[in-house]
Amino acid sequence: MQHGIKRTILSKEARQDKYERDAIKISTYRNLTATIFQRRAESDFSTEALELATNLLNLNPEFYSVWNYRREILLDLIKKEPGSKKTRLEYDLKMIMAFLRRYPKCYWIWNHRVWCLQELATSNEANWAFELGIVSKLLEMDARNYHGWQYRRFVVESMEDSKKHNASNSDEYATELLEITFKEYQYTTAKINNNISNFSAWHNRSKVIPKLYRLWKSHGQNSDQYRELVTTFQSPYSILIHELELIKTGMYMDADDTSIWLYLQWLLTDQLFVDDLNKREDGSDGKKSFRSILDEELDIIEELNELEKDDHPENKDHVWCLKSIIVIKKLIAKELVDKEQKYRVESEIKEAFEKLIELDSLRKGRYIDQLKEFREEVTTV
Amino acid sequence: MTEFLRDKHIQYVKDLDSKITQKSYEYWLSEHLRMNGLYWGVVVLVTLDVLEETLPKKDVFTYIESCWDSTQGGYGSFPGHDAHILSTLSAIQIQAIYQKEVEELDFPHKNEVVSYIKGLQRENGSFQGDTFGEIDTRFTYTAINALSILGELDTELVSKGVDFIMKCENFDGGFGMVPGAESHAAQVFVCVATLSITSSLHLIKNKEILCEWLSERQVLPSGGLNGRPEKLPDVCYSWWVLSSLSILDKLSWIDDKKLKEYILGCQDELGGGFCDRPGNQTDVFHTCFGIAGLSLLESLEQDSAGGPVLNPVDPTYCMPYSTTKKFRKWPYDKK
Repeated sequence: MQHGIKRTILSKEARQDKYERDAIKISTYRNLTATIFQRRAESDFSTEALELATNLLNLNPEFYSVWNYRREILLDLIKKEPGSKKTRLEYDLKMIMAFLRRYPKCYWIWNHRVWCLQELATSNEANWAFELGIVSKLLEMDARNYHGWQYRRFVVESMEDSKKHNASNSDEYATELLEITFKEYQYTTAKINNNISNFSAWHNRSKVIPKLYRLWKSHGQNSDQYRELVTTFQSPYSILIHELELIKTGMYMDADDTSIWLYLQWLLTDQLFVDDLNKREDGSDGKKSFRSILDEELDIIEELNELEKDDHPENKDHVWCLKSIIVIKKLIAKELVDKEQKYRVESEIKEAFEKLIELDSLRKGRYIDQLKEFREEVTTV
Repeated sequence: MTEFLRDKHIQYVKDLDSKITQKSYEYWLSEHLRMNGLYWGVVVLVTLDVLEETLPKKDVFTYIESCWDSTQGGYGSFPGHDAHILSTLSAIQIQAIYQKEVEELDFPHKNEVVSYIKGLQRENGSFQGDTFGEIDTRFTYTAINALSILGELDTELVSKGVDFIMKCENFDGGFGMVPGAESHAAQVFVCVATLSITSSLHLIKNKEILCEWLSERQVLPSGGLNGRPEKLPDVCYSWWVLSSLSILDKLSWIDDKKLKEYILGCQDELGGGFCDRPGNQTDVFHTCFGIAGLSLLESLEQDSAGGPVLNPVDPTYCMPYSTTKKFRKWPYDKK
């Protein structure tokens, strides 16, 4: 699978040259492969065989059978000399790091790193804090690396498991968990501040926030360590207000960025927030109702849309503004009881769909369907 | 618009294993992917209706048999390589596609393969790729797809497998590689296709949001599809996104003409084959998913004057319908 590699056309001579150079490489590669399979057939689990595997993996880090053989050798060496476990596996971790710099998207390499750490974890020798540092470095090189983010979540989960294992009681465990989760929350903030379009960070934030809220509520409110959360994490309501403010900045910075619009949809529809808003009487305790939050967001986005229209050579509406206006108006329409008001909002939704059919022609078929479905929904109600 | 270079693509696939290709180092570096590569090539040829005359069945079956790993009871990618669930599915798919004339599919190591695959399911319903423990929704799809072709799904395996898939659903409607992971178009495909094989599509929480997310994958100015928000388009997503939309009956939610233009623009006009983005290096993976994508797009075209150019591909299995109609579908009739 080739990704992002420019096509080159070689002249006849250049191709001939390449074949000649390749002939040497092919023979080295095939000889090494043959030697390794031979040794494996003979159940050779020596350090010499391990070195040969290193050499071959250096030539081809995707050679999964050789990774498997490597693990068989390691397990055998460790069985023979249990004291060598940490050194041997840490050697591999170092080696993998060098590999990852060259091939940051290779599944097999990540897989071997996970395996090494899981082995170390069985004897409580995995250094998870170090791993978190490593993956932060890799995510600096590529802030969207899918494997990197996945690995980060794996490290965090493993850290939590090891705390669970070592904690003397459930309160201590919850306090440790809170600390880890709080750091992950801060990490997503830093990543987002770095680049608001980093959807991987927004995604993680949507997973971390509900967890952090639960933990902070039960175990963090008296600790000075989390002063930052005192106002923000008071309730789902206060989190919502905080996050809406955060994405407002994003919207104005780059209205074309899809990440913030997706995140907005999460904020306005997730049960954590919606339930909290619906629990309270309208306007009680000086807090805004769900309806007034929706109205405010609508105002912000409509205003942004006006600004975008002014910037547009043909004074056209902004596509993402329209899409989000629809999301919000649909939520408002659900809240309305007054027939006339409801009818007005629904007509506005239809109008927005009609505009989108014109403006976002790639997705024309979708809007036509959605408009049709919406009409049917409205009539049935 | 560039035209579809049918003959060049056939030649391209033919040449993948030629003496000349074997002179380049890259050929040898891809041994670990050879079985998958063979499947991708076979899909191209069968979609272009030139399979048997281009790649004779006998040679292909001999190769597949040479990759049988009797220790594990699965197929490796290359003779001597270890069994893995990915190469095992490819071997099963290729064998199924070639059995054009028979009514009931037949597989030489069926029982061993079934127990190999079933043995890879973990307590939480997920599947590992081999005995070394990597977990990914890709492997759930691979396992359930292979067992479905073999007609050997069972209630417990399906119910646990589906439970695991549903834990990978995200707020944006998409699915990730494990619970908690970000939505990714290729992972969406494997999860949606697994739900489709197991008649479980009704479990999707919000089909509209999922299809919106999928339709947002089409980007301008190219008209190509990307795999995640704010990423570059790539031909292989023509398959991952289109097949998902097709399974969910929403193919019209993207602009087929623009996408077709993009895919065709990724052909190598000299050597045949497709690449990820215009001007890049071609490979059989992108060639397969480019052509399979074009086949799905063709199903949208009203005008079929002159008959179909491409054989219709089943979006759930990425195999011709003529193959997928041959095995029973879940839930099985109680007899």
